[in-house]
Amino acid sequence: MKHEMAKKLVFFSVIGTIAAMVFMAGSILFPHPLLLVLAMSMGQGIAIFALAMFLLAVALDLQSSGAAYIAVDESAPATPEPGPETPPAP
Amino acid sequence: MLYLHSTEQLLRAIALACAALSVAIGIWYLVRRPHLHRVTKALLLLGLGVFPGIVSLTGNIASFEYTLSRPFCGSCHVMGPYLRDAEDPKSNSLAALHSRNHKFGENSCYTCHADYQMFGAITTKMNGMRHLFKYVTEYASTGPDGEGGPPIHLYKPFQSDACMQCHSTTGKRYLDQHADQVEQIRSGDIACIDCHSEVHPLALSRRPGAKKEEKK
Repeated sequence: MKHEMAKKLVFFSVIGTIAAMVFMAGSILFPHPLLLVLAMSMGQGIAIFALAMFLLAVALDLQSSGAAYIAVDESAPATPEPGPETPPAP
Repeated sequence: MLYLHSTEQLLRAIALACAALSVAIGIWYLVRRPHLHRVTKALLLLGLGVFPGIVSLTGNIASFEYTLSRPFCGSCHVMGPYLRDAEDPKSNSLAALHSRNHKFGENSCYTCHADYQMFGAITTKMNGMRHLFKYVTEYASTGPDGEGGPPIHLYKPFQSDACMQCHSTTGKRYLDQHADQVEQIRSGDIACIDCHSEVHPLALSRRPGAKKEEKK
């Protein structure tokens, strides 16, 4: 479930980053005042939001893989409890 | 062959290259849709974090540098008369004379109109945002040179500090020519442009609102 959500987040993050990069590259190639201001405010805002989504996706993915690891670990046969410590040899 | 003549051009080239790399990684992900393995995450971190960060940094610096230039100031159509006058090699206006100065000619608008206090660059850029707002709300649908719009005026009286950045008031020739007023000039009671008033003559006669005023 979390893995699917992570993939969706990465997808939207990539789309947002591409849009922001096109916007910012456009403002560098055609530096009209309005475009410059929009690109350097909205463009950067979109890029930061996209990066935040990607980091959230990575965190979710790590969390889900960690949960899977614990589930696998719990299904493994229980290891015998260690007995009382043997006294050191004289 | 691509030649880079200035730091601004180098920064723009870096920004464009990083933007292209970022878009390429993004498109690769959208086309292939790989699993989120370690390598994929590392590549995406480059494409979504590192390269966009470089684009933001270099793009901001390059854009800031460009906003100091005369073509940027002239890119709003209401500045057309000012721009043409400043770039006219036959014009004897102060704007044109200073624009022909190779030391700062390309940045002549900013050099004379920027504030020179500690936070001068910031206040100048804030005024630039104000210009943009006024342009969009009041001048966007005016004539080719802004005819019909409200008259353009400075937000505050022009300060002689801008002139004195280059023109010293302590030189012998200056003192000879301005002996009577030198103290008043230094204190700001008399501005340089009170006497040297041919700053933007063509622009003033063709400024936005000129036709409106003539009709009154």
